[in-house]
Amino acid sequence: MATREKLLASLHAATTFRGGDRPLTYSALARPYIDAGKRSLSERIALLIERLRGYDAEVSETTPQELHATITYVVEKSGRKQLVVPVGLPATWLGPATNWQRDNGSAHGTIDAADGVMTAASCAIADSGTIALHHGPLEGRRLLSLLPDWHLIVLHSCQIVETLPEYFARFVEPPGLVTWISGPSATADIEMTRIKGVHGPRFLSVIIVHDELSRPT
Amino acid sequence: MSGPILDPRYALPFAEAALPVLRNAQLRKNVAHAIDTIQAKRARLVAEKADWQALRDAASAIRSHVLEHLPGYLEEFETRCTAQGGIVHWAADAAEARDIALKILAEAKADSVVKVKSMTTAEIQLNAALEQRSIAVFETDLAEIILQLGDEEPSHIVVPALHVNRAQIREIFAREMNLPNLSDEPQALAEAARVFLRRKFLTSPAAISGANFLIAESGAVAVVESEGNGRMCLTLPQTLITIAGIEKVLPRFRDLEVFLQLLARSATGERMNPYTSLWTGVTPGDGPQNFHIILLDNRRSSILARPVERQTLKCIRCAACMNTCPVYRQTGGHAYGSVYPGPIGAILTPQLMGMQHAQSLPFASTLCGACYEVCPVKINIPEVLVELRAEVVAQGHQSIGGLFERLAMQVTSFVFRDERRFQVAQTFLRFLARLLTRKDGWIHALPAMGGKWTQTRDLPGLPPQSFRMWWRDNEAREPAKDA
Repeated sequence: MATREKLLASLHAATTFRGGDRPLTYSALARPYIDAGKRSLSERIALLIERLRGYDAEVSETTPQELHATITYVVEKSGRKQLVVPVGLPATWLGPATNWQRDNGSAHGTIDAADGVMTAASCAIADSGTIALHHGPLEGRRLLSLLPDWHLIVLHSCQIVETLPEYFARFVEPPGLVTWISGPSATADIEMTRIKGVHGPRFLSVIIVHDELSRPT
Repeated sequence: MSGPILDPRYALPFAEAALPVLRNAQLRKNVAHAIDTIQAKRARLVAEKADWQALRDAASAIRSHVLEHLPGYLEEFETRCTAQGGIVHWAADAAEARDIALKILAEAKADSVVKVKSMTTAEIQLNAALEQRSIAVFETDLAEIILQLGDEEPSHIVVPALHVNRAQIREIFAREMNLPNLSDEPQALAEAARVFLRRKFLTSPAAISGANFLIAESGAVAVVESEGNGRMCLTLPQTLITIAGIEKVLPRFRDLEVFLQLLARSATGERMNPYTSLWTGVTPGDGPQNFHIILLDNRRSSILARPVERQTLKCIRCAACMNTCPVYRQTGGHAYGSVYPGPIGAILTPQLMGMQHAQSLPFASTLCGACYEVCPVKINIPEVLVELRAEVVAQGHQSIGGLFERLAMQVTSFVFRDERRFQVAQTFLRFLARLLTRKDGWIHALPAMGGKWTQTRDLPGLPPQSFRMWWRDNEAREPAKDA
């Protein structure tokens, strides 16, 4: 405790106002950078797809009506049988051909042994090809989307923003847990060359659901 | 044969430490290759960003604002983090930070830890302290594994093994992981590291990380990484210890919109790094259930108290300054004798260690200003270098060398103050220079102190006329012809 008081006292002494320009308050800080992009929804989606493919992620597009069929197709094409999913993922997403395991606090070993994981997401930023997980019931615990080698993310078009500041404008209340994912696990530690796949999922697939193409039923 | 020493208390002066590197062709080739690659990528991605300068301005303003209000933001962070189940510790120096970490590990009965790459833990020499207490330390960042297994020292703050090439990495992995048939394909090397560490991640009782940002308004901590080793360490073990410099705090969650746009582009030349994690205290059912954060001063408060040097604390550790530095490009990182090399190291190391150490570092620069130009938070590194040089000179005044230097400056000042004295001195020095000039018109060797200059370069001989002589002759011959 002694260190805390001493340190704070020396920090107060070091930052006491001594004349000159009065330091700016937080709200007075200038933010002259671009906050919102100008792209239309379809251009935003196109940019996100370009960025994701640039990171070596696989991308498919579908409509709300065909989501179930698309998931089944993508999973079958991957050849993976044993997939884990978060507790809150809609049952209607899960096709019969796959062995889906809901994560009810499963052991680390069980999740590690799965062929892949499917989750929803909270938002995607087209400009940098980033997908944000806030780890709610549809996105699962953090390790769920980490241990398996394949991560399949279902993203809705209404969740896609163009710039990073637009993302932060959407989530004014700071989420407690966030993982921002930009492509599969990678490293540039060997001769500064980005190579795919070290510890996180080496394969990333994204299904984009075009909500705007939703037909009233 | 001993390797480089990265402790400013024992390291050689920069110019001496640089010599073995300058003679090592392989090492220089590795460094130059890595630097060229990253510089090209960075340049391309910065160019596509129309608001790059605006982002730098905002980042610089936010970081200055934080430093001006540091105690308040730290207390806010502490309150929020504690409310979410985190335990906040304060450490005055490296020794106290190490002791706190050791105590937490002892309480958790942890005999091994997995580590996320962290400059702060390198700064406080944590690994050696852990190993002394028989706690097995597993670095998990690919570059850090290369260094740990290969018994190498880091030479860069973002890509610490950039001085090692793939063939050398293969050698290390094949030997240490017992994989005689390993190829030197980067993909295969990464796969070897994945297999090597997976079990450690799943069984380790504790993890240690640094922090890129602390968020005051929510008490959250952010770690920026690429490989997923960070995510493993931050989610699998039961106990997590994060060690962060007190300057790492940002006011709001939203401020990340500025720093995340700048950091990856500056550091690795990517639009975004593959993974960034943010967590707040303890989340039941998700991740470590014991979370400790150690806020480290280690002389940062004394840097804060100095008006010019304070900007050093704006640093977000992107390494753009070393990637662009013409000196670093030639010497690599080891010559700086510190875990923080390059221009930022040249100003940070002497301040963190006390000015009696690392006295040569403020001089390990040409003051060309390239580092200032690329710095995403606009630290005027040359300005701080000059300030620190002045301090080194002031400290040296008591020494014999310092006495001579002061005497020389006083004589120079005396001569320059009077035109006649200046002319006499000039005539005398021209005479001296003529004596030293060889037949080829060059001066190859200067006497006394000047010999240091001519050791590595020649000096052109003086032209037959000085400017003053020329002016006198021409003025006399052609008066007022320019009407």
